[in-house]
Amino acid sequence: MSLSEVFIILAKAVILMLSVSLVVLVLTYAERKALARIQQRMGPTRVGFKGILQPVADSLKLITKEDILPTWADRGVYWLAPIAVFVPAFLMWVTIPVTRQIVVENLDLGLFYITAVSVLSVLGLLMAGWGSASKWAVMGGLRAAGQLISYEIPFIMAILGVAMLAQSLDLTEIVAQQHSVSFALVQPLGLFIFLTSALAELGRTPFDIHHAESEVIGGPFVEYSGAHWSIFFLAEYMNTFTIAVLTVLLFLGGWSWPTMPFEGFLHATLSLIWLLIKTSAVLWLIFWIRGTYPRLRIDQLMAFGWKLLVPLSFLNIVITAIVLFYGLPLWVLTCLSGILLVGAVCIIRLNSSSSMERDTVRLVSAKDVRSKAKFSPLETSGGAE
Amino acid sequence: MQIHETENETDGSIDLMINMGPQHPSTHGVFRLVIWVDGERIIKSEPHIGYLHRGSEKICESEHYSQIVTLFDRMDYVGNLNSELAFCLATEKIMDVCVPERAEYIRVILCELNRVASHMLFYGVYGLDAGAMTPILYAFREREKIQNLFESVTGARMMHNYIRIGGVKENLPRDFQQRLHEVLEHLKRGIEECDALISKNEMFLARTKGVGAISGADAIDFGVTGPALRASGVVEDIRVTDPYSIYDRFDFNIPVGTYGDCWDRFYVRVEEMRESVKIIEQAARDLPEGDISAAVRRIVRPPKGEVFVRTESPRGDLAVFLVSDGTDTPYRVKVRAPSFANLQALEQMLQGAYLADAVLILGSIDLIMGEVDR
Amino acid sequence: MIGDIIGFIGGLAVTLKSTWREPVTAEYPESDKRLNLEERYMGFPALTWDGDVEEPYCTGCMVCIRECPTQCMTAEMKDNPLYPEESRRRKIVDTFEINLGRCIICGICVDVCSFDAIEMSHEHELSKYERNGNRVDLQSLISMGRSYQQKVGWEPKNPGKNRGTPQVEENSQSAINDAEVTDSRSGEPMEGDECPDL
Ligand code: SF4
Ligand code: SF4
Repeated sequence: MSLSEVFIILAKAVILMLSVSLVVLVLTYAERKALARIQQRMGPTRVGFKGILQPVADSLKLITKEDILPTWADRGVYWLAPIAVFVPAFLMWVTIPVTRQIVVENLDLGLFYITAVSVLSVLGLLMAGWGSASKWAVMGGLRAAGQLISYEIPFIMAILGVAMLAQSLDLTEIVAQQHSVSFALVQPLGLFIFLTSALAELGRTPFDIHHAESEVIGGPFVEYSGAHWSIFFLAEYMNTFTIAVLTVLLFLGGWSWPTMPFEGFLHATLSLIWLLIKTSAVLWLIFWIRGTYPRLRIDQLMAFGWKLLVPLSFLNIVITAIVLFYGLPLWVLTCLSGILLVGAVCIIRLNSSSSMERDTVRLVSAKDVRSKAKFSPLETSGGAE
Repeated sequence: MQIHETENETDGSIDLMINMGPQHPSTHGVFRLVIWVDGERIIKSEPHIGYLHRGSEKICESEHYSQIVTLFDRMDYVGNLNSELAFCLATEKIMDVCVPERAEYIRVILCELNRVASHMLFYGVYGLDAGAMTPILYAFREREKIQNLFESVTGARMMHNYIRIGGVKENLPRDFQQRLHEVLEHLKRGIEECDALISKNEMFLARTKGVGAISGADAIDFGVTGPALRASGVVEDIRVTDPYSIYDRFDFNIPVGTYGDCWDRFYVRVEEMRESVKIIEQAARDLPEGDISAAVRRIVRPPKGEVFVRTESPRGDLAVFLVSDGTDTPYRVKVRAPSFANLQALEQMLQGAYLADAVLILGSIDLIMGEVDR
Repeated sequence: MIGDIIGFIGGLAVTLKSTWREPVTAEYPESDKRLNLEERYMGFPALTWDGDVEEPYCTGCMVCIRECPTQCMTAEMKDNPLYPEESRRRKIVDTFEINLGRCIICGICVDVCSFDAIEMSHEHELSKYERNGNRVDLQSLISMGRSYQQKVGWEPKNPGKNRGTPQVEENSQSAINDAEVTDSRSGEPMEGDECPDL
């Protein structure tokens, strides 16, 4: 490898780093504004025009804050943990294309590489939990390990479905395959599984169990402050963006559905914009879900993952395989997938009310209670008839 | 790394002791819950209270009756008007004062509004406990309207000192009826919206159904009162079963749960908001003209004796036991705080729950630590 | 509706709906965007100023001081130099101090004052860096009171009795003194109900 090649790779890495950081800044602002809209608030308004510089102010604040090391912390592990979370989040971007041309290094096994790297962040969370020497952090770290590893399976299976459809693991190729119809239409179930398990991977509502503020007080991050905490933060938002982009690339047709006109530079720009629009739609969905849903409990999360998502993801692969093997038209797969998706929603709906009926609160009229001269409180049927 | 453990007697494994609170974000004030967990499951729990103890009951013994009202404001600082009412009722009973009609109606309207505001706070905080961040902001959006109305009537948003011995402090402002109407219309919509947001959400149901259940008989044994008791299927609402003030004139329903689990406790309160709105509408319709306060001296000296008054505060049976020795300060004021009594059932409810449930169970009791510790 | 049957879709509908509504929050410190205070709003207590005779209404009678539940006030009275030619107040307040850090804004002092001399102003933003930075003296209390009076167009509740200007023929009671304490609510004189001296 010649010196100039090394230099080019380094330059690419720096550009990538800068653009991803910029994206994270925009993302934090966007999330705060989106949540504010949902909750009828204004969100940041102070710093810069309409608060647009708020993320900058936040990051400055975080960097200048004191870095606290708990007395009993396992120093090495404690300081390394943020890096161990950040590096995989960053490494994923090596092979994610944003247009046909703009990609650091297009790998033939791109998807494989992404799934392999994304698993690594569990280690960082576990390290953070252990290194902090706090019970809450340990608990959060363990939760994170359980959650992330379980949801890795449906995540990979959903990706596998796409890979089967596209007959390739190369992301550019996968996008190119969707020029006529996006895979979301072919595999709605796959999209559902992918998004759900991706939310769990990200640890976002309703799966933000490992850093639930009201339960484990921030989980693995509870002891972190200042710059180190901001690295976790950076990694989290980076992952969010990654997942959104991946969703667009894998299921929503990336830049090629519908195909942008023109060639060359103009095409690249239009593709990029088109991709970003789609990505922001996915991001809005993620924020919207965050603004609406409560979180699940850890055992329910596991049950949901293992009992519903894993079987579904296998079914997804099976139906894809059947359709591909017998060369059936793709709409058959759409139908099958859609039926399974509706079935999944029904299962969720029934599951929440199978053990107990939904409406258990009844109204007893005060008149009835008053008319009974001697009312014994334990006579629970009072006035119900 | 050091972790303090205790040996589990049964199987020799190690249980982790965790301090939830007093700085835990979801303990609703300074409350400490020591729990021993086996993984995520709670083996044993031990509530510690007293972090907010201000000795209110003792201070009452050295304050004039009219000054004590301000102390009651600060006991249940979310249902202030209901607390004020409890003390004023006790003093009026011991002095045998007849409160004018209009004052009674004003009290009922404001107390019920206060109940809605308090339940709204509960609703929002409960959403937060469950991990949803929007309910609290919707709840505050609604609560804000009520607070504004309070501000226009009492001059304060929280510590009103408005209900006085013998009546209320000031007459209602001129545009009160119209503003009240607006607030109620807004509230009705708001309550429906809040209800639709999470009450029927499958994840929320999964989190709360069957969690922290307590049977009616157990609840009575523990002295649980208020919405928490009604959620267990016991029809007991002091406004109906042992009416005070003029509550016997209104027509409303008592929401009653079935299993006494977190969802029942949650939804009983949501229903109660609707019922409170009904009461307010009736009271505002019938609001008579007239005096707003009986002629009571500023420094009251009730005759010797003792009195016990029960009221239904948003959290339950708020009772005041007042002993007067004929001087201008009471001899003893004992407050039976509903939060305190409801808290006693916590250990039972936490039996075998998950760590994440502990937050929800604690939230569903709707503690106000100012009232628990007094 | 589908939202009633499948709750997690209903919730999404609620949040989506409110996304299009106007924000309900206000931008607090900016003067034109903050919420309005109600007329009855109780801020910290302040002393009122009698513009006719250029002196405070307060006579330093100490009733409010005795009645304050947190005992956060002190006052001293003196003979009024303007009495009787320019003012009907025989006594006038000399020093008055409230530790607003201890005040619980209960309004009792306003209720008990029978000279309309103290009012709950609309002042509520008194954050200070010092622990006792909110011990305010007569001067600042009066300036708080004057700005409040100007803001709401304050009039004494009992002008016949409490105005300082000498009106000989109207009022048989020629001097306001500190001996008589009336119940502010019922307006009756209160015999035998004096507070015990502290
Ligand atoms: S009661 Fe009124 S006149 Fe007397 S000292 Fe207090 S403020 Fe002044
Ligand atoms: S408002 Fe209450 S606490 Fe404040 S000075 Fe007046 S009487 Fe004292």
